Amino acid sequence: MVKGDSNRRWRRIFLILAAVIGAYALLAPLTSLDAAQSANIPLLADRLWFRLATIIAMFIVMATAWNIIGGITGYAAFGNVAFFGIGAYTTGMLIAKAKWPFLAALPLAPLVAGAFAALVGLPLLRLRGHYFAVASLGVGVAVGELVQNIDYHGQAVFGGASGLFLPIYSIDNRGLFFFYLMLAAAAAGIAVTWWVLRSKFGYGLIAIRENEEAAAVLGVNTTAYKVAAFSLAAALTGLAGGIFSQWNVFINQDNTFPIEYNVQMILMALLGGTGTVFGPAAGAVLLQLLIQFLGGTLPISFELPFVSETARPIVAQIILGLLLVGVVIFVPRGIIDFFGGRTRLSLGYLRRSLRETSL
Amino acid sequence: MGVGFGLVWGVLNIVNLAHGALVIVGGYITWQLFTALHLDPFLTLPVDAVALFVLGYTMQRGVINRIIRAPLLFTFLLTFGLNLIIVNVLLLIFGSDFRSVTPSYSGQGLELGKVVIPYVPLISLGVAILLSAALAFILNRTRIGLAINAIAADRDAAQLVGIDLRHAYAVTYGLGAACAGVAGGLIALIQAITPTAGEPYTLQAFVVVILGGLGRVSATVIGGLAFGLVEAFGQSIPGSGSVFANAIAFGLLVLVLVTRPQGLMGRLR
Repeated sequence: MVKGDSNRRWRRIFLILAAVIGAYALLAPLTSLDAAQSANIPLLADRLWFRLATIIAMFIVMATAWNIIGGITGYAAFGNVAFFGIGAYTTGMLIAKAKWPFLAALPLAPLVAGAFAALVGLPLLRLRGHYFAVASLGVGVAVGELVQNIDYHGQAVFGGASGLFLPIYSIDNRGLFFFYLMLAAAAAGIAVTWWVLRSKFGYGLIAIRENEEAAAVLGVNTTAYKVAAFSLAAALTGLAGGIFSQWNVFINQDNTFPIEYNVQMILMALLGGTGTVFGPAAGAVLLQLLIQFLGGTLPISFELPFVSETARPIVAQIILGLLLVGVVIFVPRGIIDFFGGRTRLSLGYLRRSLRETSL
Repeated sequence: MGVGFGLVWGVLNIVNLAHGALVIVGGYITWQLFTALHLDPFLTLPVDAVALFVLGYTMQRGVINRIIRAPLLFTFLLTFGLNLIIVNVLLLIFGSDFRSVTPSYSGQGLELGKVVIPYVPLISLGVAILLSAALAFILNRTRIGLAINAIAADRDAAQLVGIDLRHAYAVTYGLGAACAGVAGGLIALIQAITPTAGEPYTLQAFVVVILGGLGRVSATVIGGLAFGLVEAFGQSIPGSGSVFANAIAFGLLVLVLVTRPQGLMGRLR
């Protein structure tokens, strides 16, 4: 009885907190930046905050999308960044070279990314375990290299190593516009996950994760389901890429195919809790804030003791590595565990997770 | 290099994303000994092997053993985290400058008629063959090697007949790390290294191991040869320079995975 009460209390505290943060994120930008600056409201006084909020939304999309193939279906995709890049370059090329308007070019980003995923997914998804992970990583790297290096009569088709410049999208409050757009994409990702987890499709995917042969025996068309999940994840990731290309105005191999995004989106999903609706989003917010905070790019920050200014980004990376190791060892099911009312953070919990997976 | 990676993967079922970082650690040890003590770089290779064995043993025993029974994704992430730590510690110690090891004979070569074969790659090839042979010996003729083979065949049965899994796992990882260290020493001789230069080696080790097939030393050597040839071929395509080498290598990787998932030389397990 006592335990149930405290669990309920935890859940309520979590919901209230989430609601407050959500309301803040949604409503705060509506007040004008100048007013916020003169009133000296924390965070809002800095324009950097806007950029950060948009980036966080972008990672929510990517982590949530990865969750569909990696968390729900159980296929450890390690090259999802390819779809981000494909989405970015689809929109980018249509705008920069074909002079399409942004809002017409954007819907093509998820379509192309999804179609590409279906194409490579058919052979790749026959592989299992490590082999799939490695092969998808290979696809991720190869696509990035190809995009940068394809020439046609000596002209780099996709802008080559110097990248691709897009005309600036003229609209009032550009930062606000792209923030809401990215937030909408994040909401779409979460809504899709919610729908998947409640549909026959989703049950099929979970069956595949738990035991693929058994799922096939029960009449799940495993190939079609896996390819569909992969495509869906790719389409969402491509959408984020498409928005990114117009928001950032400049795209090249470095900012649309970064290998570290692969790991970051997986870590976010894992940190929050794979296979859940809100877990990846929570993980994305937390991890991205932490990365920016450690990197010293957050408006609120403090000096790390014993660390010089130049060594700071390096130390930040080391802390991130230690955190990664710690999460993997001690909190394998994600922090969402603590808020679902099932378990509580305690020494016993940590010891149990350690024992479950140790040799 | 691929040999150590393949060993860790084949036996322990761990995809070791920290492999490239271990390679670079070996390179830095060679560089340090060469510049500070003026040791011949080839003499530093045993030091690399021993140091990396100890490091690898400790990493496996202390950290990686903790998640052996977790889903494979966790080992991916854990080794990536270790990779991040190692690379950045190296950055703190050595900075991000390029370091290269250039002994007096680095420009010279063996003359066979009109063809000149430079010494360094020649000796490197010898070392690689020697290392593979030594590893094959350890795995097939020693007690701990037989234990490692037994684990690769059936982990639970190995435990039943009294093999200390924790120790054997750590030794296996240590051996893999030692191979990486020696490879790093050789690489430092051939090209300049930086702390962040390790990632391509992890990817290349992937390709090499998959091309060859899992779990056998000889298969990995063949895979290494095939990969080297394909990459050289990619670099020699006229007009494109070296830009397609990686894409071709990975294209080949995906092709092999889809058509022959057991590798060129491997058997289905």
